[in-house]
Amino acid sequence: MHRPLPRRRTDDGRGVTRDTDVLVIGAGPAGAVAAWEAKRAAPELDVVLLERDAAVGTPVRCAEGVGDAGLREFADPDGAPWVARKITQIVFVAPDDTEVKVAGRAVAWILDRTRFDSFLAERAVALGAELLVSTEAAGMTCEPDGRWRVRLRGATGEDTCRARVVIGADGVEAMVGRWAGLDTRVPARDMESCAQYVLAGIDFDPDSIYLQFSDRIAPGGYAWVFPKGPGVANVGLGLVALKTDGRNARQYLDDWVARRYPAGSKTGCTVGGVIVHTTIKQTYADGVLIAGDAAHMINPLSGGGIVNAMKAGRLAGHVAADAVRAGDTSASRLSTYHARWMELLGDDHLKYYRIKRALESLDDDFFNGLARSANAIPLERRTLGRIFAHALVRHPQVIPVAARFFI
Amino acid sequence: MRPAPARSEIAVVDLQVCDRCGLCLPLCPPEAIHLRLADLVVDRGDCTGCRKCIAPCPVGALTMVAA
Repeated sequence: MHRPLPRRRTDDGRGVTRDTDVLVIGAGPAGAVAAWEAKRAAPELDVVLLERDAAVGTPVRCAEGVGDAGLREFADPDGAPWVARKITQIVFVAPDDTEVKVAGRAVAWILDRTRFDSFLAERAVALGAELLVSTEAAGMTCEPDGRWRVRLRGATGEDTCRARVVIGADGVEAMVGRWAGLDTRVPARDMESCAQYVLAGIDFDPDSIYLQFSDRIAPGGYAWVFPKGPGVANVGLGLVALKTDGRNARQYLDDWVARRYPAGSKTGCTVGGVIVHTTIKQTYADGVLIAGDAAHMINPLSGGGIVNAMKAGRLAGHVAADAVRAGDTSASRLSTYHARWMELLGDDHLKYYRIKRALESLDDDFFNGLARSANAIPLERRTLGRIFAHALVRHPQVIPVAARFFI
Repeated sequence: MRPAPARSEIAVVDLQVCDRCGLCLPLCPPEAIHLRLADLVVDRGDCTGCRKCIAPCPVGALTMVAA
C-alpha cells in the first residue's frame, strides 16, 4: 500500500502540491471509517487518508478487545482474518484472585489490530479514498478562503496539501485539534498509563476475558488478560500515575506477570495512554472535525475506544461530505457533528465518568467482599445487574456510588 | 521570543527509553511536548517544570533536569 506523495501541481504559485476536499489525518479505526463514509456519502469528492507509520495498523497500542454489537455495525467478524479470538465469558478477578464469572451470552472479539486496521483502510481505498503512508502532518494554517493548508512530512521531504475539511483522527497526541485551536489536554488523573505484553505459554480459559481490579496491581485502573488463542494472550494493565507508589506502568506489569504467569514467555511489549475522560468540549472548528481518541471519545469506565472511534468516524465522514457538497464548511455547520456524537454516546460518557470517579473511592477490601457475595449468587443468575443489586444490600458503602449513577 | 517561565527544572526525554506512544502530549499544560517521526521533543522554552508528564510515562522516559 506504500505510495509516494502525488505531485499534482496547482497554480497558486505558493508550493501547494495538491488540493483535496477531505483530508483525514490518521488511518486508525476513526480515520479509515471517516474516509470511507465520506466517499460513500459523496463519491465525487477527493478524500485523502494520511498515515504516519510505514504500514497501517502498526505498531499496535491496544488490548484489541471489542464488543460484538458495535463491531457488527461496521464489519462481520465471523470467519474474518482480522479476528484473533471469539470471547463468550467475562471473568472479574478480585484483588485476592477470587474469580467471579458473569452469566449471560455476552460476545466479544479480540482483534488482530494490524490486520483489522488494514482491512478498514483497504475498504476506504476500495471506495476511492487515497491512502498515503509514511506521511505525517507537521502543521496546518487556515487560508483566507477557509481551506486548511497542511504541511506534510514524508521520507522524501515536505509537501503541502490544501483541504476544505480536515478530520483529525490522530489518536492520543491530538495535534490536529491543537492546531485548530481546540483544547485537547487532559488532567493527569484521567490518563491511564498502560503497558502490555503478548504472553505465550500461559494457562487460562481461551474463551474468557479476565479483568482484575486492585490498588496493588493497577491503581485507578485494571489489569487484563485478553486471549489471542490457546495459551497466548494480551496481558496488560492500565493505571493512574497519581495513585501509584512511584513505579511506572511497565514495572507494575512486570510484577503482576511475575506473580501470575511466571512461566509465560513475552513475545511483544507495547505501552500507551488511554484517556478516560469525557469528550472534549468542542470537537469541531472551521473546516475541522476531531474523531476518536483524539477527541477523548473512549468509554471512561471500560477504556474501550475502537467502536466509539468508528462511530465517530462515520459521523465525521458524513458531516464533512455534506458540508463540502453544500459549500459551507464553517464551524457552525460542522457543529452538527458534535451534537450528533453527544446524542449517540457523548452524553452517556458523562454518566460513565461520574461512575468511574465514584468507584475510585472503593478499596481492595470492598472488591474482595463483593466477589465473595457475588459468587453466592448461582452462576446462571449472576448478571451484572444482580451483582450490583447485591452490592447495595451487602455493602452499604456502595450506595453513594449508586446514587451518583442515577444523578 | 516569549519570556522564559519561572522554573528551576525542566523535563527531558530519554530517546533510548521512549516508545513514542504520545501519552505525554495531552498531559502538558503549556503544550510544550511534540512528537515527530523519529523523536519526541520537549520545548525547553515552553516547559514550565510542572512535572505532570513525569510519572505517567509508562516506561519512565521523562525526567527532570536543571533548567
